[in-house]
Amino acid sequence: MTFEVDLGGRTRTVSVESVGAVGPGGGRFRVRVDGQPRTVDARATDLGLLLTDESGRSIDVAVTDRGAGEWLLQLPRVALTAVVDGRRFRRAAGGPAPAAGEQRVTAPMPGRVVRVLVKVGDDVAARQGLVVVEAMKMENELKASKAGRVKEVAVAEGTSVESGRLLVIVE
Amino acid sequence: MACDTTRPVPSKVLIANRGEIAVRVIRACRELGLGAVAVYSDCDRNALHVRLADEAYHVGPSPASESYLRIDAIVDAARRAGATLVHPGYGFLAENAAFARACEDAGLTFVGPRPAAVALMGSKTAAREAATSVGVPVVPGTVSPLPADASDAAILAEADRVGFPLLVKAVAGGGGKGMRTVMARADLAAAIRAARSEAQSSFGDAGIYFERRLVAPRHVEIQLLADEHGTVLPFVERECSIQRRHQKVVEESPSPALTADVRHRMAEAAARVARAARYTNAGTIEFLLDRDGRFYFLEMNTRLQVEHPVTELVTGVDLVQWQLRIAQGARLDVPPEQALSPHGHAIECRIYAEDPDQGFLPSPGLVRALAVPGGPGVRDDRGVAPGFEVPVFYDSMIAKLAVWGSTRAECVGRLTRALDEYRVVGVKTTMPFFQWLVRQPAFADAAFDTTYLDRVLADRNGQPFVQPTAADEEGAALAAALASWFRAHRAAAAGAAEPAGDAWRRAARREALRSP
Repeated sequence: MTFEVDLGGRTRTVSVESVGAVGPGGGRFRVRVDGQPRTVDARATDLGLLLTDESGRSIDVAVTDRGAGEWLLQLPRVALTAVVDGRRFRRAAGGPAPAAGEQRVTAPMPGRVVRVLVKVGDDVAARQGLVVVEAMKMENELKASKAGRVKEVAVAEGTSVESGRLLVIVE
Repeated sequence: MACDTTRPVPSKVLIANRGEIAVRVIRACRELGLGAVAVYSDCDRNALHVRLADEAYHVGPSPASESYLRIDAIVDAARRAGATLVHPGYGFLAENAAFARACEDAGLTFVGPRPAAVALMGSKTAAREAATSVGVPVVPGTVSPLPADASDAAILAEADRVGFPLLVKAVAGGGGKGMRTVMARADLAAAIRAARSEAQSSFGDAGIYFERRLVAPRHVEIQLLADEHGTVLPFVERECSIQRRHQKVVEESPSPALTADVRHRMAEAAARVARAARYTNAGTIEFLLDRDGRFYFLEMNTRLQVEHPVTELVTGVDLVQWQLRIAQGARLDVPPEQALSPHGHAIECRIYAEDPDQGFLPSPGLVRALAVPGGPGVRDDRGVAPGFEVPVFYDSMIAKLAVWGSTRAECVGRLTRALDEYRVVGVKTTMPFFQWLVRQPAFADAAFDTTYLDRVLADRNGQPFVQPTAADEEGAALAAALASWFRAHRAAAAGAAEPAGDAWRRAARREALRSP
């Protein structure tokens, strides 16, 4: 099986082929990452997977399936998010693929919109605040990840929002 | 069940709280042979504190105002359980004099000071007066709250008298709410408006006062225990200068900035304030320490503090056990020298379900699994277990990691190791932030004051706290692909043995497709 893995702003093509019998507890795999062949031993743990390469170096990864191809990978010192076969999930969802470079800022948790800091047509800088959402007794300012122009403001002040609700689109 | 008639029925303690502090109090109850009664809201039905208690009572829907802040519901739960003691933990109703009074009226023993002491210290301006009356210096500022109808001219005159930069603070304040820094006269009016409105919505009291902002002060505080027989016992200080937006995030004991002489003077001053307030049970007196070793009374917290474990680690005194014993009338017999002479060094990190790389945005969700550090000198106080959904309704602190070492350097090394071991799987936490912080030279050298963290965070401008290496990214990408492979194979295996209903539906769908 071959997977497209988006991680850290880069897409890797990873092919996975089991070597011998592989049970639910794990086994050995021949993998190719962007064509580079490797052999990996993958064992199930209470957290996720323990991966060991040919040289004996191992990495203990906590793995959480967040659905729609998104995986949270918590390594001993750093947490990373990967999207596996993202194109397939976007097609399956039936929605239009987001335009290249478009930022869709969504509510990361349920809460209430206390302030909208921008309006349609505003130019925004990277890390500029867009919307303030109150949740868990805290006001949280959601920021633009990069510079652009506000294309749509999908909420008004005072609106209660569910997790994942679209707030602002910046193009 | 056989009933042993020779043994008296143990007293029961109702714990009017949730999360890690409820778990902490349950542990102390168990160690003293007391029964532990939990309360819970809708979303906490399977929370760890409920699982560990002997019995648990539902007190309302998830929002705190409808459950953990409902005095009537909590007193009623205590009555139903037959509890004789009520421990408020911290936060929620812990510093609410009306709650302490309601317990008293219901014949319950409130594990904390008497209502009058809670009320006195709850007013920040009254507390400052109490300190001044026993000769303990306070941060220069206004003596009484500014009246709501004070003229602009009167307010400006008062501000000029205190001097800029100054802090506008809520009389009923706490946790940094209703607090504003004002650098110059021009910004005063807006800051007062903002502070008043925040104080009104957080505490139901729009009263404010001014305090001069000291230059780069350190936050140092004295833990106290006081019994009902007149003994007041001050402990070695804690330093809590690492704060984000006026909220403590790291605490340690002893303070790396205090000489033994200042320690004894500060402890003596704290004990004087406690005696003046006729204080009983556990409490903490907070001071600001300036660069010249002068200290100023800031406020008194009339409850157990979040950061109490560091004091326990360096003195060997169990503060929560003592709270329960004192409430039952016991005499405090800890030798004063044990309380004031630290053994080694301890540091605590408050771990929140927040994503530090997204401006510390709350990150509630399901805790899927946990890897908790162990080994020498590590103490984990945690309020969550795998399978628990961190709710959106309360403070997002999920655990406190406290570490002991024979020296501060050993302690920092151990903390760094323990943080690297700790994984809360499924939600983002502030762990990467701490992993970054403990590796900063300023942290190793203890060269910080209360302005340090906000300053360095502003300078970083949102840079990720831990940069993944190429090997990290490669490993994570591999893990994601392999996990996807396992999932596809599990799905195939499940498909072969799928429930009859699903197989039937699929067969029906195939039929429907074939029909035209």
